[in-house]
Amino acid sequence: MTSRRIPPHADPASAPPRRRVRVSFDGRTTEGYEGEPLAVTLLAADRPVLSRSFRFHRPRGLMCDTGQCGWCECEVDGRPSVRSCQVPVRDGLVARSEHAWPTADRDLFGLLDVASRLVPPTFYHHRFLRPRRLRKRYLDVIRRFGGRGRLPIDQPSDARSRTARALDVDVLVVGGGNAGVAAAEDAAASGSSVVLVEAVPGRARPRHPAIRFLDGATAVGWYEGVVTAIDDSSLWSIRADRVVAATGTYEHLPSVRGIDRPGVMGARRVVDLIRRHRVSPGQRALLVGQAEDLEAADSALRDAGAAVVVHVATGELRAVLGRRRVEGAVVVRADGTRRVAVDLVVVGDRTPNLDLVLGAGARVESRDGVLVPLLDRDGRTTVPSLTVVGSSTGTASRVPPLAVHPRALVCFCEDVHVDEIRAQVGAGYGDPELVKRRTGALTGPCQGKYCLQAFTAVLGATAGRDVATDGLPTARPPLRPIRLGDLVAVDDPADA
Amino acid sequence: MTLPATADVVVIGGGIAGLAAARELAARGVGRVAVVERDYPGAGATGRNVARIRRMQLTEELSRVAMACQDKYERMGGDLGSNILFYRLGYAWILYDADEVERMRDIVAMHARLGIRSALLSPDETLHHLPVFTGGDPVAGCVLSDDAIVHHDAVVWAHLDHLERVAPGRVAVHPHTSVTSVDVDGGRVRAVVTDRGRIETPLVLNATDGWSTEVNAMVGVRMPNRPRRREVLVTAPLRRTIEAAVTFYRPSEGWFNQTLRGEVVMGAVDTDEPIGIDQRSSWAFLRRTAELMTRKAPALRDVTVIRQWGGMYDITPDHVPIVGPTAQLDGWWQAVGWSGRGMLLAPYLTELLAEHIVTGSPPEMLRPFLPDRFPPTAELEGAEADYYARYGSSGGPGSGSTSSAAGVGSSSGNTTSRPSS
Repeated sequence: MTSRRIPPHADPASAPPRRRVRVSFDGRTTEGYEGEPLAVTLLAADRPVLSRSFRFHRPRGLMCDTGQCGWCECEVDGRPSVRSCQVPVRDGLVARSEHAWPTADRDLFGLLDVASRLVPPTFYHHRFLRPRRLRKRYLDVIRRFGGRGRLPIDQPSDARSRTARALDVDVLVVGGGNAGVAAAEDAAASGSSVVLVEAVPGRARPRHPAIRFLDGATAVGWYEGVVTAIDDSSLWSIRADRVVAATGTYEHLPSVRGIDRPGVMGARRVVDLIRRHRVSPGQRALLVGQAEDLEAADSALRDAGAAVVVHVATGELRAVLGRRRVEGAVVVRADGTRRVAVDLVVVGDRTPNLDLVLGAGARVESRDGVLVPLLDRDGRTTVPSLTVVGSSTGTASRVPPLAVHPRALVCFCEDVHVDEIRAQVGAGYGDPELVKRRTGALTGPCQGKYCLQAFTAVLGATAGRDVATDGLPTARPPLRPIRLGDLVAVDDPADA
Repeated sequence: MTLPATADVVVIGGGIAGLAAARELAARGVGRVAVVERDYPGAGATGRNVARIRRMQLTEELSRVAMACQDKYERMGGDLGSNILFYRLGYAWILYDADEVERMRDIVAMHARLGIRSALLSPDETLHHLPVFTGGDPVAGCVLSDDAIVHHDAVVWAHLDHLERVAPGRVAVHPHTSVTSVDVDGGRVRAVVTDRGRIETPLVLNATDGWSTEVNAMVGVRMPNRPRRREVLVTAPLRRTIEAAVTFYRPSEGWFNQTLRGEVVMGAVDTDEPIGIDQRSSWAFLRRTAELMTRKAPALRDVTVIRQWGGMYDITPDHVPIVGPTAQLDGWWQAVGWSGRGMLLAPYLTELLAEHIVTGSPPEMLRPFLPDRFPPTAELEGAEADYYARYGSSGGPGSGSTSSAAGVGSSSGNTTSRPSS
C-alpha cells in the first residue's frame, strides 16, 4: 500500500510522538495516528475515495477546509452521514461508505454516471406510468436505491444533554478570523458588551477581557435577529443589537467537468494536510485560480517534495480527468489546448460565505461575477442590524468568465448539470424557485454553499437577467446540518 | 403571458385548490379561466406540505371524500399524463393511551364499513412493523392503513402541463400577479384588479387558503377560517427504514415519514401557535421537534437536519374545508379553509365545486363543505389542544362533522382529553 506520509521534521520537538491506531473503512484496516481526522488517515493510506454522490454515484473525497462540502461523509461507528474530516480517529473505529456497493472506491453503481444524460432530474415526469400495475414496483426500486445512511435502531445513546442558554448583548461577532477578532476588540474597547463565536476551537484568541468568547460554538441559525449557536455543552440564543458577520469564504469550484474528483482540493486544505498533518495530497499538482492562498499551497507542496506542474488561470481550466481520482487536466492557453498529467488540482478561488447574510434575508448583488452581500458605506446589509466585515464582504473575490461546459456540474450534492438548469428555462420553468424545485439544485445537504454562485451565474446567463437582483430562492435555516439529537436541551434555570 | 381583459372565471391563488379547480372547469368546457398567483405556482401551502394522501380519517364524512380523492390521485398520473409519484407508503396513527386504543376500535370499524383497509395493531406488532419506535415511549398500539404519499411539486407541474396542453390560452395560469382589489357593483362581483391589469368577470374563486381572510376582506365577505403556522424540517436522506407515514397525538401532535428519496420529514405541532399569516421558521420548532421525536423514536437522534420551513393551515371551526358560493356576495366562490387537508382533498372537492358552478346546484357530497354553514358572525375559537376533541364522535353513520365536545357520542364514552402520564 502506498503511503502518503511525509517524513517527520528533523527536529523531534516539532513532531511529538503520536500513538498509532488502527481503523477500518469499508472492511479494510488502515493505520493512522490517534486524533487526526479520519479522512486524513484514509488519504494518508492512499484511500482518497470516501463517498459517492447521491444521484450518479460519482466518487468524492476530501475537498474543503471547513467541514461544509460533505464529500467526505460516511458511516462512523454506526452513525449515519458523518463528515469524516471532522472525526478524530481512535483505535478500533469502524467506518464504511454509504450509498456504494461493494465499496466507495469500487462502486458498481458508478456506472450510472455514464448514463447521466438519460436521467435528467425530471426523468420521472412522463415515465413509469405504464403498465399501471407496475407503478408501485417502479417506485419501490427508486426507494430501494435512494437514501444514503442507515438509521441505527437500538444504538446505545451517545447523546449528551445540552443546556439552552440565552444571551442579550450589544454586539455579536460571528467568526473568529482576523476581521472578526478585530471587530470584537473594537466593539469591546468602545464599551459594548460583546459575544464572539468561532466554530474551530482554539483558532481565535481575543484579548479584550470584556469579550465573551464562545470557543468552538457554531452559528446555526438566524431567527428574526436572534442568532443561535451550538457547542459541546450548550444551545445558545443570542440577541444582539448589532450582528457582525465575519464568516470568511468558501472554495469556489469552476464549472468544468470532473471538478468533483477526489484530488481536487481547496488550497487551504492542501496547506493544512502538509503542514499540520504531514500528509501529501499529491505528487504532481496543477494550481488553478488567482487567490493568494495558492502561494502558500505552492510552497507547502514544494517542501513536501511534490512537483507543481502548472499554474493556470481559472478560465484556462477546461476539464479535470480521471475515473476515480484526478489523473490529469485539460488546459487551454495561448499556445493551444493540452493535457497535463497531474494527480492533484489545487483550487485557489474563494467566494464569500453568504450563509448568515442570506439566512437573515439580506440582499446580495453580483459583482465581478461573484455574489456578494449588498452593503452600504458602513458595511451594513439591507437588514440594518447585520454588518459584514473581512473576506465575507467579497471584496477580494473574483471569478473570471468561464466557458461553461453543458455537462459540468452546478450542484454537487444533487449532481445537477449546467444543461439541466438551462433546460428548465427553455421549458418555461425559469423562476429560480422552480428551477430549484425541479432540479434539486440548492436543496442537498450543503444547502447551496457550493453551488449558489454557479447556479446564479448559469441561470442568469440563460434567462438573460440578473437573478441576484430579481430574487434568489429563499435560504432556510439551519445554516449548517445538525444532528437532531444535538438539538435536545433543557432550559438554563438561570434564564427562567 | 398577457392578462385577458375578460374571463368567465377568475381564480385567485395558484396552489392545489386553484389549479385543480381550473382543471375541472377546463374539463367542463368553461370558456376562459384565468388563474392569478402572486408568486410562483405552488408557492404557498401547496409547496410546503408533505403530501400525505390518506383515506383514513377520524370521521366518516371526511373519510368518504378522502377515499374519492385518493382514487383520483391514483388515476392522476394517467389522467394528466405526468407522474406524480403516487406511492402507497402506508400510514399509521401511533397510540399511547388506552382511551386512544378504545376509540380507534370504533374508527377502524367505520373504515372497514367504508372499504378502507386499516387495522389496529398490538404494541408488539407496532414495533415489529415500525422498529423506529424501539426504545421510545411505550406504545399502546397503532392503526395502520395502506394510505399514500405523492410528490406535491409534481402534482403542481402535472396540472400546469395539463392545462397548457388541453386548454392553451383559454385556461391560463398567470404567476407573479397580485390582486389589488375586486370591483363589486350592484351586489355582484364585476372584475378583479391586479398589478398587471384588470380582468372583468362574473365569477371569482378565492383559492388563497392562508391568505383567504385578507382576500375575502377585499369584498367584505366574513368567514370564520383563520391561518395558523405549521413548521416542517427535513433530514439528509437515509436508506429505506420507516415503512409508514406516522402521526401521533399524545402528549402532543407530531408526525414523520420518509420521502421516496429517503429524507425524513417531521414536525411537532405547537397548539399555542397564534392566529396570523406567518411562514417563518423558528428555533423553538427545531427544539420542540428534537425533544418530541427523540423521546418517541430514539433512533432519530442520529438523523441530520438540513432544512426547515414554515407554512400555514387555514383552519375552520369544524376543521372541514369551505368550498362553494356564499349568499353574502353574488359571484364570490371559495375553496379555502382546508385545515391542513388541501393536498388531501382539493382535487376531489374542486371537482364537485366545478360541477356546482356549471350546473348551478351543489352535488350532494359537497353540502357539508358549503360556506354558508357558518353565519357571517361565526368566529374561530381556540383550537382544542387534544386532537381527538375536534372529531368528537366515533364516526358512526350520520355522525356529524362539527367540533362537538370530547367524548360526546363515543361508544366508549371515555375519550375525554387528558395529558398522557
